[in-house]
Amino acid sequence: MRRSSAVGSAVALTAAVTLVLAGCTQRSNQDVPAGADGAATTAAEYPETPDQPRVPGRPGGTFRLGIVEPTAIDPYNAQESEGILVTKALFTGLVNVRPNGEIYDGVASAWTPNADCSQWTFTLKPGTTFSNGEPVDSAAFKRGWERTAARDSGSAVSYHLNEVAGFDQMQDGSAAALSGVDAADPNTLRVALSAPDCEFALRTAAPPLSPVPTVAGPAGNTAYNDLPIGNGPFTMDGPWRHDTGIRLVRNDTYGAGPKANLDAVELTITPPDTGALTEYNGFNNGQFDWARMPVPVQAQARAANEPKNQWISKKTAGINYLQVQVQQPPLNSVAARKAISMAIDRNAIAQGVFQGSQVPATAFLPASFTGAFQDGVCDACRFDPVKAKELAAQAGLTAGTRVAFQFNSGSNHDEWTAAVKQQLERNLGIAVDLTGVPFRDLLTNQRQPTATGLFRAGWSADYPTPSNFLASLLTTKAIGAATPDDVANGDNRGRYSNPVFDELVARAVATPDVAARNDLYKQAEKIAIGDDLGVIPLVARQQFRLVNTTTFGNVNMDFWENPTLPEITLR
Amino acid sequence: MLRFVLRRSAQAVLVVVAATFLIFLATFALGDPFASTGEKVVPPAIAAANRAKFGLDQPLVVQFGTYLANTARLDFGIDFDQGRPVSQMLAETVPNTVRLALVAIVIDVLIGVTAGVIAAVRRYSVWDVVVTVLSTVGIGVPTFVIGIVLVVNVAGWGPFPAVPRGFAVEVPWYQEVLLPALTLAAVDAAFVARLMRGSLLEVLRADYVRTARAKGLPERTVIGRHALRNALIPVVTYAGVSLGVLFGGAIITETIFQYNGVGYLLSRAIVNSNAPVVIAVVVFSVVAYVFLSLLVDILYAVLDPRIRLS
Repeated sequence: MRRSSAVGSAVALTAAVTLVLAGCTQRSNQDVPAGADGAATTAAEYPETPDQPRVPGRPGGTFRLGIVEPTAIDPYNAQESEGILVTKALFTGLVNVRPNGEIYDGVASAWTPNADCSQWTFTLKPGTTFSNGEPVDSAAFKRGWERTAARDSGSAVSYHLNEVAGFDQMQDGSAAALSGVDAADPNTLRVALSAPDCEFALRTAAPPLSPVPTVAGPAGNTAYNDLPIGNGPFTMDGPWRHDTGIRLVRNDTYGAGPKANLDAVELTITPPDTGALTEYNGFNNGQFDWARMPVPVQAQARAANEPKNQWISKKTAGINYLQVQVQQPPLNSVAARKAISMAIDRNAIAQGVFQGSQVPATAFLPASFTGAFQDGVCDACRFDPVKAKELAAQAGLTAGTRVAFQFNSGSNHDEWTAAVKQQLERNLGIAVDLTGVPFRDLLTNQRQPTATGLFRAGWSADYPTPSNFLASLLTTKAIGAATPDDVANGDNRGRYSNPVFDELVARAVATPDVAARNDLYKQAEKIAIGDDLGVIPLVARQQFRLVNTTTFGNVNMDFWENPTLPEITLR
Repeated sequence: MLRFVLRRSAQAVLVVVAATFLIFLATFALGDPFASTGEKVVPPAIAAANRAKFGLDQPLVVQFGTYLANTARLDFGIDFDQGRPVSQMLAETVPNTVRLALVAIVIDVLIGVTAGVIAAVRRYSVWDVVVTVLSTVGIGVPTFVIGIVLVVNVAGWGPFPAVPRGFAVEVPWYQEVLLPALTLAAVDAAFVARLMRGSLLEVLRADYVRTARAKGLPERTVIGRHALRNALIPVVTYAGVSLGVLFGGAIITETIFQYNGVGYLLSRAIVNSNAPVVIAVVVFSVVAYVFLSLLVDILYAVLDPRIRLS
């Protein structure tokens, strides 16, 4: 998954939390079943804004925004949304994606799998070049992919290629080339997969699968790391000025699609811990044209900017949830997990801590996946303290039960986790041991075979497909441990495992027909979330941006939550 | 004298090595920086390759030995995130910090000494009350409050550049340095004013001042020539140490103004758990502080032979 550098501003949410906690306390004092009012309230969420209408506009202009220092802008290690912002501007992969999962052409004009989706053939548009004149042919893709997959590159995001045959040999250093990639014909890229995937084309939109020219050299080439030469709609205007800024200019030789309109994009590097606040201040003082904002000022920013049509609100492909250690007591029964889930008043948290800006989850998959989204598939996401109490009794969660609950400190999770703890203790009578630990410790702790209880978790999809949630987070394979006594190396660290679910997901991934595939995903989610509740969904990811629509037109948010730079025009 | 200097220098080196070891130990305890990326576990083989690249597979003592040897050659290694040479990051930020520190010290001493002298000479006058009250407030208000107030109300107006500012907007260094320097000077100037006032009052009671007055010297000469010189000694000491602190980077002020000095570099490195940068900046601050204290000590010894002997 992408690293979310949006750890949020350092501004405390204390006031909001006090409200929630005060509200809770008051209710429990009144001896009224807490569910009565909680269940009745509907979340007054921030509605999504429609896409900006297409305007003809005119070329020119410099679009300015703040980003935190990316880990890399060289595709082999581009990972967080800031790094992806730059690499997507500098490079065009085989295909492009829209937030709803729709694929459209990039360098490839056609992408077709064989009957069982184990072989893919990409037909490249002839004659496109890198900005230094080198041809963008199938060899350029093979070069780029091998550069990402090589062990010595140390790429943290090489897993994007893990379905390609020969990937494992490159990772352990025993091979220097990806055996599954055939670049014999310059205009055709043939890819053999180690397991069938009818959605493999989606992966090729990820920056680590970009083509690179021969001048890129190995991944350790620092000159290229800071001044990548690509085939995208923009090129670098001078090297990356670390901790200061990056300037991009339009690539007038761009051949893989329509040329960009903007003359330039100026990316100013902001502080890592107060990025959102800095962007917001920069928007208000006229320095930036696109900005995030800290949670406490969201309401104010929306009130000021929505009437001026300067406000973007989108549900994106992400979820905040509780990882449950399903193999270990006390939460190793469905009843126990549902009791926990139904004892959480998501609306109160969404309203109190997030001031109405976040939406309680009713499913694990995001609503942006329109084909597979099932509103309410998580039936235990409903707040029902009476039912929760019953289930708790059934599962043996009693007054003496202690449930561990860990979160990573320093990332604004203190408030809502405290609210969850209080709700669980009040509604179930159990004791919750809430601890905030540094992120690395959280990760170490939750990977242990002996881990118990709940862990805070968040996920932003790498590709707009349900399998990036279901297969990546809930299948047995995604545990990444050979035996139950091993440390979990995968993303399914709660160790949920259900053979029926595994089978459904595997069948879905190997189903070429989109509707039939989505149907299988729906069945799979029904089992893992509706029946088993392998993880506890909390709030769906929703993103807000301020945009200077006075100067610029066609500014929308792409799948990676970045501005659609190639389409932006001057008004 | 030479023996004194040598002894003090040896002590200084010891302090630097000990401090380096402590910060090294502290960052070592943070755990494996390559085990995860975002919320994802990095495959063990890749993580191991990355650890080996940075020598993190060696025992702590070996790592520390290597680090000291490299540091002696001014090689601070490469950072965890992007593999950039840390010495280059220091080279880019140290001049900015030094500039900020010098401007801040100049403002601070000018305002502080002037205010202190006025307050002492016009003791119990309205001026004295004003200086005393202002300096109390100055010492009492935290730097970050002054900084934020200036960012919100003053930055972006007149000669003061906006915060944040698009990186393509070029601003001369003396404009960029103004507000952060004022912020840093505010607290220090208040302290210097109080120090100056107190020490001048004490000196004014001394016999030699009475003698000077008895000789019929004009008051300006008495204060300017005779009293001020002696009264300045504690101020100079304080300013020297203060400069040492500022050279090490004003973390809060630089971060609030997003001023590209070592303090801001350190705050970013801490947020990103970028240990090589954290260690290098801390070592640099320790060296700057120890070096300036050493200078002050030696100056003292030159001025006052009694210190040398003890």
